[in-house]
Amino acid sequence: MRNVLSPTLVVSLGFGLASVLAQAQAPPDWTGYYTLAPNRELAPAGLKQDAPGEQLNDLIIPHLQPWAKARMEATDGIADDTGQVCLPDGIFRYPSMAGRFVWLQEPGRIIMAFGNINTAGVRRIYLDRPHPKNPIPSWNGHSVGRWEGDTLIVDTVGFNDKSWLFGGMEPHTEEAHLMERARRVANGAFVELNITVEDRHALNSPYSYNRYYKKQPDGAEMPEDVCAEDPDTWKQFRNEALKKQQSRLRQLK
Amino acid sequence: MRLIVSILCALPMVAQPGGQVPDLRGVYQSIPDRMTLPGGLKNVGAPAAIDLLPEAARQTRNVDLKRDPWKICQPVGPFRMMAKEHTKIELVQVSAMIVMLFEDLSHGMMRNIYLKRGHPARLEETWLGDSVGRWEGDTLVVDTVGFNDKTWLNEEGAQHSDALHLTERIHPVLRGQYLQYRMTAVDPRVLAKPYSYTRYYRRLDTEVMDDVCQDEP
Repeated sequence: MRNVLSPTLVVSLGFGLASVLAQAQAPPDWTGYYTLAPNRELAPAGLKQDAPGEQLNDLIIPHLQPWAKARMEATDGIADDTGQVCLPDGIFRYPSMAGRFVWLQEPGRIIMAFGNINTAGVRRIYLDRPHPKNPIPSWNGHSVGRWEGDTLIVDTVGFNDKSWLFGGMEPHTEEAHLMERARRVANGAFVELNITVEDRHALNSPYSYNRYYKKQPDGAEMPEDVCAEDPDTWKQFRNEALKKQQSRLRQLK
Repeated sequence: MRLIVSILCALPMVAQPGGQVPDLRGVYQSIPDRMTLPGGLKNVGAPAAIDLLPEAARQTRNVDLKRDPWKICQPVGPFRMMAKEHTKIELVQVSAMIVMLFEDLSHGMMRNIYLKRGHPARLEETWLGDSVGRWEGDTLVVDTVGFNDKTWLNEEGAQHSDALHLTERIHPVLRGQYLQYRMTAVDPRVLAKPYSYTRYYRRLDTEVMDDVCQDEP
C-alpha cells in the first residue's frame, strides 16, 4: 500500500479528483435549436413573455431621452429599417421578435447563430476573456459571459449606432450596454432570458424584460434563410429607401 | 482501492476506441495562391478552370454578369466561397455536427455539417445544400447535395444543375497550424469531368467580426 501511495500517484489522484470536481461543476450544456416560446405554451408553467411582439415598443419608448424620441418620430419605416434591406437588425431587435437560433456551446465560449442569419448574424459570447479596451463598434457588439451556478450572465458593449432598439426605431448610441441573465426554467423546458438595456446617451433609465425560448427536439434542424433571396424585390426596397433619404436631405438643406 | 479505480476511470479519456479524431475548432483563413508553405504545399486549381459541357459553355456566354450572386449580396455557394483568397471561416464542433461559420456571412452564411445522419430521402433544394460529414482517420469528409440552381460555379457565370454534388476533404497539416482543404465538384449535366481544387487554410488566433455585405444599389 505504501508503494501505491507514491508521490506521483498522489499527484495524479489529485488531478483525477480535480477533474471529477470540475466535471461536477461543469456548466450545463444547452446546445440545441431554440425558438421563441408562444405564450400559450408558457401559460401552464405560470410564465409569459413580457410585452410580446410590437408591445415591446411601448415598454421602451417611455425610457427614451427627448432627442431619441424626436429621432424615432422622424424616422421612415422603409428608409431607415435596416432589416428591410438585408442589413442587420442587431441583437436588440431580432432575438426579441423572431428569435430563432442555434445555441452552440464550446469550452470558453458560446455561439448563438440566428435563424435570419443575414439580418441577425452570429453572436459569440466569450467566457475566457474580458472585453477589449476599445472594442471596434459592431452591429452585435462584443459579448463576454460567466456562469453563476446555472445562470449565464452576459455583458455586451461595443455596438455601432446603426441599429434600433426595436421595430419602432428607437435609437441607441455606441454607449448602449446590454446585460442578460439566462437560465433554464420550468424543469428545463424553457430558457429564460432576462434582458436589461442601458444607454446613458439615449435612455433616461434602463429597461428590462423577459423572453422565453423553447428547445426544439434533438435532431430538429434550423432551416436555411437567405435575406436577399429575391434580388429584385430587395433592390426595389433599397432604392426606395435611398430615394426617401435623399428627399429628406433636400428638405433639410 | 475501489475509490482509486473509480477516480482513474473518471480521468478524461485520451485515446478513444477507433482512434481519436482531430479537434478542428478554431478560426481559419485561406492563404493567397502565390504563397508556398513548408513542404512545398500550395493552393492548386481554381473554379475558373472547370471544364464545361458544350451546352453549359454556350449558356454561360449568355449570362448577365451583373446578376452574379457575389455582387448582389447573395450566398455564392461553397464551391466558390472556399476557393477565394482570404476567406475566413470558424469551425465549431458540437456532438452531432460541425458548424462552419463564415465571417462574410452574406456570401458564405453558415453551413451545418451533420455527423450523425445521412442525406434525407426527400431533399429540399437550398443555396448551401445538405451537408453530412464523416471521419476517415484524421480527415473530415463532407458530402453535399440538394443545391438549388441559383449559385454559380465561377465568376464567368458557369451555372450548375441540381445534380451538383460536392465532396470536401479537410485535414490538419503542419502540426495543426493549417488545414488542407480539397474540394471536388461533380455535375454530370454541366461539367465535362469532375473538378478538384486544393486550398490551405491558416489557423488564426483572432475573433471573428461582423462583416456586412455593402452592396451598391
